[in-house]
Amino acid sequence: MKKFLALLKVSVQSMLLTSTNSRGKSRKRAVTGLGAVVGIACLGLYLSGLYSFLLMQALAPVHMEILVFVFMGIAALLGGLLFTAFAVKGVVFGGKDNDLLLSMPVSTTLLMASRLTAIYLENLLFSAFILIPAGVVCTMLTQSGVGYSLLFWVRLVLAVLALPLLDTALSVLLGALIAALSARVSRGALGQNIVMGLFLLSIFYFSFHLNGMLGGLAADPDGVKASLFWAAPLLWMGEGILGNWGLLLAFVLCCVIPFALVVFGLGRVYRQAVTAFAARSAQSTYRLSAQSASSQKKALLRKEAQRFFGTPMYLWNAGLGPMMLLAAGVASLVMRDSLMEFAAAAGGALPVLPMAAGVLCFCLCVSPIAAPSISLEGKYLWILREAPIGEGALIWVKVGFQLLLTLPCTVAAGVCISAALRLPLWQGAALLAAALLFAVGHAAFGMLMGLTFPKLDAVNETVVIKQSLAVTLSMFVPMAAIGAAGGLYWLGGKLAAWAALALPLLLFALLAAACTAVLARRGPAMLRAL
Amino acid sequence: MLRIEHYSKTYPGGRRAVDDLSLHVQPGEIYGFIGHNGAGKTTTLRAVAGVMDFTEGTILIDGHDIKQDPVGAKRVTAFLPDNPDLYEFMKGIDFLNFIADLYDIPAEQRTAGIAQFGDAFELTGNLGSPIGSYSHGMRQKLALISAFIRRPRLLILDEPFVGLDPAASHQMKGYLAELCQGGSAVFFSTHVLEVAEKLCHKIAIIKDGRLVKSGPTAELVGDSSLEDVFLELEGEK
Repeated sequence: MKKFLALLKVSVQSMLLTSTNSRGKSRKRAVTGLGAVVGIACLGLYLSGLYSFLLMQALAPVHMEILVFVFMGIAALLGGLLFTAFAVKGVVFGGKDNDLLLSMPVSTTLLMASRLTAIYLENLLFSAFILIPAGVVCTMLTQSGVGYSLLFWVRLVLAVLALPLLDTALSVLLGALIAALSARVSRGALGQNIVMGLFLLSIFYFSFHLNGMLGGLAADPDGVKASLFWAAPLLWMGEGILGNWGLLLAFVLCCVIPFALVVFGLGRVYRQAVTAFAARSAQSTYRLSAQSASSQKKALLRKEAQRFFGTPMYLWNAGLGPMMLLAAGVASLVMRDSLMEFAAAAGGALPVLPMAAGVLCFCLCVSPIAAPSISLEGKYLWILREAPIGEGALIWVKVGFQLLLTLPCTVAAGVCISAALRLPLWQGAALLAAALLFAVGHAAFGMLMGLTFPKLDAVNETVVIKQSLAVTLSMFVPMAAIGAAGGLYWLGGKLAAWAALALPLLLFALLAAACTAVLARRGPAMLRAL
Repeated sequence: MLRIEHYSKTYPGGRRAVDDLSLHVQPGEIYGFIGHNGAGKTTTLRAVAGVMDFTEGTILIDGHDIKQDPVGAKRVTAFLPDNPDLYEFMKGIDFLNFIADLYDIPAEQRTAGIAQFGDAFELTGNLGSPIGSYSHGMRQKLALISAFIRRPRLLILDEPFVGLDPAASHQMKGYLAELCQGGSAVFFSTHVLEVAEKLCHKIAIIKDGRLVKSGPTAELVGDSSLEDVFLELEGEK
């Protein structure tokens, strides 16, 4: 047990230090990091509370509170899976401390258990943040008063503790599949990209499926419940939380058994798995031909592209935004009639404009490409430092790479949405201008965050891309800017139509100018100081 | 070629890693830098390469001040750390082209350089594989090739013999001598005193961040051996 706790402590410490950036030399920076994490946690609680409230409002009158727990449970499961499945390959099978830990006198099952418990704790956060607000809302809105019983909270806590076990087991199996494919396929990144693409497509499919169900909830809650047979364990969880101890036990067993099987099953072959997944040897068949030369900036851009497209973790986390932008553009054309109906109900295209801008800007928020790029240099930073390139050039190449991916997609999405909504030219131009200014500001802000909260000593790229403070801030702070722009639109609308558009544009222009100016002035010195 | 004047480095927290170090490396010289672990060798080499900032003093490379004109100084140098981490997502040939692009090496010159040094270090056949699949020695060789194809005026090496097989070590010594014959200079740290004694024109010994002795190898060693001199200076004999 002592060994297990020691191993677990190392894994958890690594995760916490990465998320809060508290291993730095500056106490102020550590406190800032912790504050940001707490702020984001509060935002998460607020969002899950809001969704639970909206669902419960519709379902409590028809005594279908169980469906709130089912839907929020699915959200927790998918969220956790999305967050940790990609991390498993790096943390469990590709950890840089694997050699060290495997050489220690501890059993591989114990090592596996400690690794998985660290991932479980991460999933537990998701589960708690999503299910506990649902419990609070249930207490407030149900007429039966079930939430005022202590046993209700005991059952809810049991569900919160059990659900991440299932999440972790599924994450590890998916992570093992990805790791195995990477080792087998000669172009490992391509194989991983295909698996991750399929995985995300299936998540999107289920999300749309659930969305359709939510639409039909008020009309036919019993039918929706019956159609959720494929999520039987989560139905048992819902029934269990609301009072059925037998079904709660069945749900807990459904979570504990897969987790135990994964720990003991994979634990027995952990050493073999780590060896097999890492077994790639250099081939000696290359024949040198005439090489071609290119400029410094092209070489640096090509390197950024090689890293981005050659690192599935990076591509599928930071690259979702551009994909979503293109998908939004295509969807707006395909669903043109529904959009026009919505615009007509809203009283014309103008009120829909800020929503369209919000969608584009949100897609840009989930494209933190520049933010982790400095930390990803990590141990390789010496290569750029010894090269005859100014720090400013390095920074702008990284910002430029993000813009190279986001700007064309933003323009394409903006044009499609403008065409679908039949926006007048000036409104279409305003939409594009807002999104493009936001894209520039977001890229510069992300780079600033990367320089302010670097993680050059991260044990793997997972912790940089998925858990670093720089990435988290570069996603959520710009979302707050979108909220502020929405507020300005509302305020401006009280004055004149042009003011409603001009004020958010002015805000985005000021933010883009400020971030770019600070980056130009302080960025090179910050990079030099790393 | 390299002039280090009153160079000092103090780490945050107050630890003085190097204190008032001055030394000059002339064109055509192989200059060895030896000392205990933690003596300040790597700190000095990293400062010379422009990888690490420093607190006091000046470092001039071929007339370029590494602080005032870092790009100019780096254009004529090549630096290899003791454990060169190279981009694992790149193939070997991609890495060499990347470095060649950063140093504006023309296409013909780089092709010839890669062929020459790739064959010499028996790595040409592996250049099409991702660096992630390379062994430690192969990475070391690739880093060396990337340094040699630049034809640097000053080559800075930190423990270059660690991880190399005997054949590659032999090749490297030959190329270091060849580079110096062309008017370049080599400044390197090592713990392999026999190699330093045979290879270096001059040697500097550093202890606790201070230069304790430097000069031509023959004068420094005299009738003794470098090992004896080193251990005596370190107070271990």
